[in-house]
Amino acid sequence: MELNLTEALRFLGVRGEPDPALVGEMAAMKERLIGSVSPRYTFRVFPVSRAGGAIELSGAGLVLPGTMAGKMLADCSRAALLLCTLGAGFDAMLRAEQARSMARAVMLDALGSAWVEASCDAAEAELSRRFPEMYLTDRFSPGYGDLPLALQQDLCRVLEAEKRLGVTVNDSFLLNPAKTVSAVIGLGSAPQPARIRGCGYCPMRDNCSYREGGRTCVS
Amino acid sequence: MFPEALKNKVVLLDGAMGTVLQKKGLKPGGGPELLNLTDRETILAVHREYIRAGARIIYANTFGANALKLRPTGHSAAEVITAGVSVAREAAAGTGVMVALDIGPLGELLEPMGTMRFETAYEYFKEMAVAGAQAGADLCVIETMTDLYETKAALLAVKENSSLPVFVTMSFEQSGRTFTGCGVQAMARTLEGLGADAIGVNCSLGPELMAPILSELCRATRLPVIAKPNAGLPDPATGEYDMGPEAFAAALAPCLEAGVSLFGGCCGTSPAYIRALAAALKDKNPAPRTFDAVSFVCSPVTACRIDGVRVIGERINPTGKKRFQQALLENDLDYILDVAVQQEDAGADILDVNVGFPGVDEVAMLPRVVKKLQSAVSLPLQLDSSDPDALEAGLRVYNGKPSVNSVNGDPEAMERILPIVKKYGAAVVGLCLDKNGIPRSAEARFTIAERILSAALALGIPREDLWIDCLTLTVSAQQEQAGETLRAVDRVRGELGLPVVLGVSNISFGLPERSLINQNFLIQAMNRGLTLPILNPNLREMMDAVAAFKVLSGEDAGSRAYIERFAHGPDRAAASGLPAAAGPATLEAAIRQGLKADAQRLAREALAAESEMELVEGQLIPALDRVGADYEAGRAFLPQLLSAAQAAQAVFEVIKASIAEKGGTPVRKGRFVIATVKGDIHDIGKNIVKTVLENYGYEAIDLGRDVPAESVRDTVEAEDIRLVCLSALMTTTLPAMEETIRLLRTLDRPPVILVGGAVVTPEYARKMGADYYAKDARESVEIVRKVLGS
Repeated sequence: MELNLTEALRFLGVRGEPDPALVGEMAAMKERLIGSVSPRYTFRVFPVSRAGGAIELSGAGLVLPGTMAGKMLADCSRAALLLCTLGAGFDAMLRAEQARSMARAVMLDALGSAWVEASCDAAEAELSRRFPEMYLTDRFSPGYGDLPLALQQDLCRVLEAEKRLGVTVNDSFLLNPAKTVSAVIGLGSAPQPARIRGCGYCPMRDNCSYREGGRTCVS
Repeated sequence: MFPEALKNKVVLLDGAMGTVLQKKGLKPGGGPELLNLTDRETILAVHREYIRAGARIIYANTFGANALKLRPTGHSAAEVITAGVSVAREAAAGTGVMVALDIGPLGELLEPMGTMRFETAYEYFKEMAVAGAQAGADLCVIETMTDLYETKAALLAVKENSSLPVFVTMSFEQSGRTFTGCGVQAMARTLEGLGADAIGVNCSLGPELMAPILSELCRATRLPVIAKPNAGLPDPATGEYDMGPEAFAAALAPCLEAGVSLFGGCCGTSPAYIRALAAALKDKNPAPRTFDAVSFVCSPVTACRIDGVRVIGERINPTGKKRFQQALLENDLDYILDVAVQQEDAGADILDVNVGFPGVDEVAMLPRVVKKLQSAVSLPLQLDSSDPDALEAGLRVYNGKPSVNSVNGDPEAMERILPIVKKYGAAVVGLCLDKNGIPRSAEARFTIAERILSAALALGIPREDLWIDCLTLTVSAQQEQAGETLRAVDRVRGELGLPVVLGVSNISFGLPERSLINQNFLIQAMNRGLTLPILNPNLREMMDAVAAFKVLSGEDAGSRAYIERFAHGPDRAAASGLPAAAGPATLEAAIRQGLKADAQRLAREALAAESEMELVEGQLIPALDRVGADYEAGRAFLPQLLSAAQAAQAVFEVIKASIAEKGGTPVRKGRFVIATVKGDIHDIGKNIVKTVLENYGYEAIDLGRDVPAESVRDTVEAEDIRLVCLSALMTTTLPAMEETIRLLRTLDRPPVILVGGAVVTPEYARKMGADYYAKDARESVEIVRKVLGS
């Protein structure tokens, strides 16, 4: 599992050629982060059934409403619910850093975002290993498109998030600890097209600072 | 039965309720507690099967029956608990089996991880304890806890509101820590101190991975130890656990040899597992245990074993410090946190916390400061007060096992302080003095130490929790007393074997080159047995002396810490992470480069020639503006903007100290309220804005995160605030922002409202009725200038 420093710099808002001193400090902090915070994830795989147009995950007692889930899981017989977190340890580290230096705290925050993304990638890789005959869709999360954010509560209930990962959801559907990502990944028997990655699907496309400069966030 | 009998023979507990019910058709994660009301027969049958399998204590089906989790169901905790205990009682009737009220986590994280207050959590648990005791439970188990703070709230609530014996088990990862970072020893010492009757580990791991944690726990406590592991690990595709009953029992039985005496199962187990355990443990007894009785204090994440010299940082104390006094009077907790952080970074092991000052309500202030410090400092704290009420208020909200400074040998003082120390399981510093003052001879001091020890033991305070302060007197006034103090150290260590405390720097008052005397006295005292010097860890020569002592005493094995300390040469100024280069020539350059120490030095020099206000307006603000302009132009990024802001903050500290010294009025450019709205728990964005604005000289009243609209309105009204900054990060919390704005608009003198945050747009800001929208911290500065003046 590799924390992508370039991605962390992007989360920090750095554009163009970054200052070598900043990169050096970020690299040192990256080592400290990965030395002290281990990401954790859990997933469960459920059969997909379709009743009256809605996607249902049988056995989970969970319905994924909206066109987004329908489109994403169109060719899928199964779907995984995934939860990744850096845990309370990262939040404690961030609080301690904020008490010392806000400048370093924002760097740590950006590194944390990249680190939890790396953990999601690792979870996906494990999923692929466990289901070698299946193809994975892009992962998508509650709050994306028309998949309601309110789904966080059911998703956490089904994954026993509190017991297994120490993750809780509040009344506004925010996940705690801060660096926690929930996602749905479809599993189909044929290769899955990219449906999320790319500017066409991005909710930020109308006010994206990269696009204004004629670039994209992956270039 | 409690607690000695539980240590010497095997007692079987039951296994899972939730996963057994899932087998009977309950959806994963579905709360089974309502079945107490709707499907009593099913629950009764599960309890009876566990009793038939051999369980001698069964857990009522009340794990999640707290008011918070039950809120959506419309049922009260008391209703569900009464039904749950009664069905368990029915199953146990005539069998001699005991029924435990089962209490699990509330399902929301406590401060500082979440926003639930410790006091609120206590109330939820209290409701459960009262209902369980009334319903006829024989004991209470608090289980599957991962946060020591929440565990403490539950344990206090049960002990203060019932007479039930209490078992406590927490869930650990393979690393030996809980999800929130709590270690095994910290858990053991804290919960034993707070009066738990048995402690242990449940859930999360299977028996093999739990075994090393149980062994460590058996050495770390005198209490009976409980093991309730899962049936191995769950399969992600099916949710099935991978270990059968026989394998489970075979893997768990060896824990007898570590001294575990209470056995049961957690997720994935069933009555078959308990039957297998009963067979595997039949006619066997737990091995006798040896308690590791070293003196010990801790935060959840940092265990401080007093088996060598440990430094107590003395800087959180207003005595003789004008800037600190001002911070206390102005409620400036950020300043106090900063003092703590500096000492932690300088290598202190424990931080003394004294906030007693005329005009400060210590009973309210001490717990506030404790909460603030434990949000960002990982060291154990020593609560320092002469007011028993303040001590109790502080001990109550402390997360871990703290120490108390202090009690003395006067019987009345001991009667006031020691029962509080006992109740909260703290360590305590006993001063070798009494009503007659400080005895002149070492012998008389030793006698007082003995008196305090016997009073502590009589109250049930374990011996290792008493530390003795042999008292340092000023050598320039009473020269012969230095020798008496050292002789007293000798005797207390040699004859009583207790850790010894000394406030080291008292020795040198009135003499030149105080640090030389201090260092020399410290070295002599450590050589005679001083274990807990109270000193200023920011003074390098003192910490150097401790580092050298640990090499010579053999504690620093292979001199590793010593070598590391001096790896960058004797001048550790360069070890702060910044390259050693020629210092900047101007204050502006120092601020632009974020060089705090240089900025402070240049500011001090500038203050010789100009006033504080001239420095702020003529140099500080223009320098910040230029960094801000670079940021806007994309030549500098957020970290640079913030490090410049923090160098400016360091300059403001110089300015505040300078004004406090002269007794003048602080620089005040206007105050604003800042908050993250109700429901929103992420606050780094808000903190960035606060940092930047404060460094332009504006004063923040930071209400924190998840702030109800009413709190914002009430603060604005009470303090007559003219500007409010609100942050929201999620579309789901925008309505809370709108509601806050609406409430503020109902005031007679509504403030100007500035909003920002990831999901806020200029259009939405207008629609909600905000006056301004800022896209980032930099833009907020321009707006605040317009509103409050520059």
